Amino acid sequence: MVAIQKNNETQKFWDLLSEVPDPEIPVINLVELGVVRNIELDGQTIIVTVTPTYTGCPAKKLFNDLITEKLNVNGYNNVEIITQLHPVWNTDWLSEETKAKMYKDGISPPTDDNLVITCPHCHSTNTEMVSQFGSTPCQSLYKCLDCLEPFNYFKCHR
Amino acid sequence: MRITIDNDAAKFVVRLADTEMILGQRLCEMCSNGPFLEEDIALSNVALDLIGRAEQLYKIVSEIENKGLSADDYAYRRNEREYFCLKLVEQPNTDFAWTITRSYLHDVYANEVFKQLLKSDIPNLAGLSEKVLIEIRYNLTHARDWMLRLGIGTEESNSRVQGAVDQMFRYVPEIFHWDVVDNKYLSDTAAIEKSWKSEVSALLKEANIKEPELMDVVMRDYREGFHSEFLGHILTEMQFLPRAYPDAKW
Ligand SMILES: [Zn+2]
Repeated sequence: MVAIQKNNETQKFWDLLSEVPDPEIPVINLVELGVVRNIELDGQTIIVTVTPTYTGCPAKKLFNDLITEKLNVNGYNNVEIITQLHPVWNTDWLSEETKAKMYKDGISPPTDDNLVITCPHCHSTNTEMVSQFGSTPCQSLYKCLDCLEPFNYFKCHR
Repeated sequence: MRITIDNDAAKFVVRLADTEMILGQRLCEMCSNGPFLEEDIALSNVALDLIGRAEQLYKIVSEIENKGLSADDYAYRRNEREYFCLKLVEQPNTDFAWTITRSYLHDVYANEVFKQLLKSDIPNLAGLSEKVLIEIRYNLTHARDWMLRLGIGTEESNSRVQGAVDQMFRYVPEIFHWDVVDNKYLSDTAAIEKSWKSEVSALLKEANIKEPELMDVVMRDYREGFHSEFLGHILTEMQFLPRAYPDAKW
């Protein structure tokens, strides 16, 4: 987990963006997903640095629109978004708390090198991959060999 | 308008961009045409990776060239002879085995190229390569698994994938026909060829597929804008909307 610098001046913006759900996994927000990297104030302009999860992530443009919209409706009209690809977004930026939220929502969170994949329905680790690519680019499709339920697994990305 | 690319670094990057773009476009054709639902989704996901990667590469081209043209201009406003993709990635989805073999041969190549570009001094390219390599790992695993399944599956699947490999290998020699631009921006082109051949040979052997001999280069080079018969058709479809409605906004 890379520590994100926050200060009193920008804390309110971090709080606002923590209310923006990820469009594809609404149980977590954009700050938790790790795509909001930095918030700075330059005079009246709020500069938000965003790192997309995947180069071809269809939500990439939507992230920027949602961030701008959130700040706009709260009265902050001067918003500039900077897209930063490096350092590369990775699943180590998801906190344990965030992973627990995903798990509770039925998405198995990323584990180191995809070694142990736990079924979010019955907690069994006796699971097998159905497809490398799931409903979003960042997830794979798995099935549990104990309770036989299918589930999404958030791929390790680093 | 004819769009030329003048800077050597941009010439190098646009080759990668075009190759990723056209393979992405080919895989988009599989959306709703996959053999079953999960595979349909997988191919569409790989297509997204490729097009996202192409977009970032076009941005780099656009910044180097600095002519006021956007990434979209480079993708949508160049003609066939102004495109610089590998002929391999233009080949059609005639058979599912063709789709998989084309991706596999490309992914091994792309993996080796981006590994060397981790140390590139072209602005933003090293950082992008780091990102791309994580994605390629999943793409390559997917293609490699299918090569094995088809190769050691049934007599029918083996003969189909053998046919695909025989066909696609015709477009491999030009990949290794490096020119001064390649050699300027890749640290060791000979190593790319060597790694590609050893990875592909080992896989084909494991998959019970006969490795065809690589012929001498007989076709005019993609680096000069020469293509197979398919590229024009791909561009016709891909570029229709932005050409018909040049100011269309999302
Ligand atoms: Zn289970």
